[in-house]
Amino acid sequence: MNYRVLTWGFWSVLFGTLLLIPQIFGVFNADILVGFGITALFAVSLNMLALSGLFSFGHALFYGVGAYTTGLALSYIADFPIIPALLLGGIVSALFALLLSPLLVRISGIYFTMLTIAFNELAYGISMKFREITGGESGLSIYSVPSLNVPGLGTFDMGDKFSFYYFALAIVVVCIGIMWFVTKTPFGDIMLGIRNNQDRVAYLGFWVPGSKTTIIVISAFFAGIAGSLLILWINVVSPQSCLHLVNVSIKTFLAILVGGLGTFTGPFIGVGVILLFGELIQNYGRMAELIIWWITIFYLLFAAKIAPWGIMGIFTSLKTKISAWLRHAGASQQVSIIPE
Amino acid sequence: MNINLALFIAQSLNGLGYGMLLFLVASGLTLIYGMMGLLNLSHAFFFMLGAYFCATFLNIFDNFWITLLLAPLVVGLLGMLAERFLLRNLENNPLGYIGQILPTLGIALLILTSVSIFWARSLWIETPDILRGFVSIGGLNYPIYRFFIIGLSVVILIAMMFLIYRTRLGLVIRAAVSDTEIVSSLGVNISLVFSVVFGISTWMAGVAGVALTPIFFVNAGFAYQWALESFVVVIIGGLGSLPGAFVVALLFGELHAFGIQFFPKLAPILMFVIMVLVLSFKPLGLFGKRG
Repeated sequence: MNYRVLTWGFWSVLFGTLLLIPQIFGVFNADILVGFGITALFAVSLNMLALSGLFSFGHALFYGVGAYTTGLALSYIADFPIIPALLLGGIVSALFALLLSPLLVRISGIYFTMLTIAFNELAYGISMKFREITGGESGLSIYSVPSLNVPGLGTFDMGDKFSFYYFALAIVVVCIGIMWFVTKTPFGDIMLGIRNNQDRVAYLGFWVPGSKTTIIVISAFFAGIAGSLLILWINVVSPQSCLHLVNVSIKTFLAILVGGLGTFTGPFIGVGVILLFGELIQNYGRMAELIIWWITIFYLLFAAKIAPWGIMGIFTSLKTKISAWLRHAGASQQVSIIPE
Repeated sequence: MNINLALFIAQSLNGLGYGMLLFLVASGLTLIYGMMGLLNLSHAFFFMLGAYFCATFLNIFDNFWITLLLAPLVVGLLGMLAERFLLRNLENNPLGYIGQILPTLGIALLILTSVSIFWARSLWIETPDILRGFVSIGGLNYPIYRFFIIGLSVVILIAMMFLIYRTRLGLVIRAAVSDTEIVSSLGVNISLVFSVVFGISTWMAGVAGVALTPIFFVNAGFAYQWALESFVVVIIGGLGSLPGAFVVALLFGELHAFGIQFFPKLAPILMFVIMVLVLSFKPLGLFGKRG
């Protein structure tokens, strides 16, 4: 069978299932899926940086900025529509990224990672201390989510979980689609080039700091959108839930690592696995948490040597082997997304 | 004595004590990075472990001095075990430095979770009888225990300087900081040296943990804050640089003491502002030499 038909078939079945989930499994389960979608959008935006070899441990900064911007806009401006509020979160996040990127693009490797940690902690400290604006430790709440007004279709109440599911689904799918498209353009190739050999990209005549800035800004924009969706979904954000270094930034990075670093689909799988695991162990208390950390350590110490590119890496190497076997090990096309 | 001057001296002594303890934690971190190229995020959590073992041993023996001796030893032993069985496998990780930082963070969270399971959530112990009370210097009443902390840190600092600059082991450690491969090719059992350095580093963190318990409430958030602070100290001082860690730790101790009094809102943020500036314009740190 044609490989292309299979792929499109898979995506349309998946999308159809997503559309039908509230009808089949009920609104409560659909609501869990909204949480998954928001985390996945955030993880994919973080993965945009990881795809370019910029390993950020402070991406929660942009997530939090998006959430707080939308929250502040909705609480201080009366009758602020929902789509501009969402875009505002993304744009302010992108502006923050633009402001910080002159410092971020100067350095690479472990120093980049540490600088992102510093920025994240700076944002966390500010949100904790300036409680007149951010609400401090208890966070920021919005009391009413504006309704969505679609010309020709009518007005939808976004406080209703059922309509919010479709709203969030649309936003997440569109955002991830745009990011997927960006990685497929020539600019996506520059991203890969910066990851593999940044000097060679510079010799080819590309302006590396400019490209890096663009990547950081795009990534921050979508992280901001994810943050905005978060506050529209749960109506309250606190530094703990959207700006925390370990709980947000590093755990999401871990999810990407589990799903497969350097692949576009990896983050979905990683976030899915981690959230599913979290739901499974929820009732077993802190002992289960202890076991989780043992598993994490052993995965990172031992399994990461065998399968460094996570679940997607295993999947891809299996796919390569199976397709080679199907073509009688002859002229198999080498499918490789594993970086050097 | 002038009341303002007395306050100033008291605060700077507070800052000195805090800075010395911070150095006890940060020095281990910077030594481990210098030798093994490993940014060990779990280091400050061994420090917290020291504080919790202190409470346990105090319950068993009811004697502060035995506790001060035993608790850091147990912590050092645990550190050596962690290095021997877990962190040693980090070499040649295909994920590069990401694959090195995340497992140490995993160990940090493992310690954090274990502590919240096996011990109480928050911890405070009483100052031992001999060290209770105040000394009076020219009208300023200052707690003896804080002097004891400063003295203890100075003794450990001198012992460490002696170890590093006057003994054969210190020679090997200094050589390993500058080039591990050459040292191992000279017939030195480098993995044993790694274990010993890891043990000493975690032992010092344990001492700091025990010494701190009588004057602070110790809990999970506290260890997290210390982990960040020692991490920032090491980065600003320069990764792998002991003098850098010393200077910056004392600086941050004073910043902490005076910051709380004069600008409580900005003090915790200021630390990260300095970190951002140093990383942006001098990524190797103020005293760092090599990358």
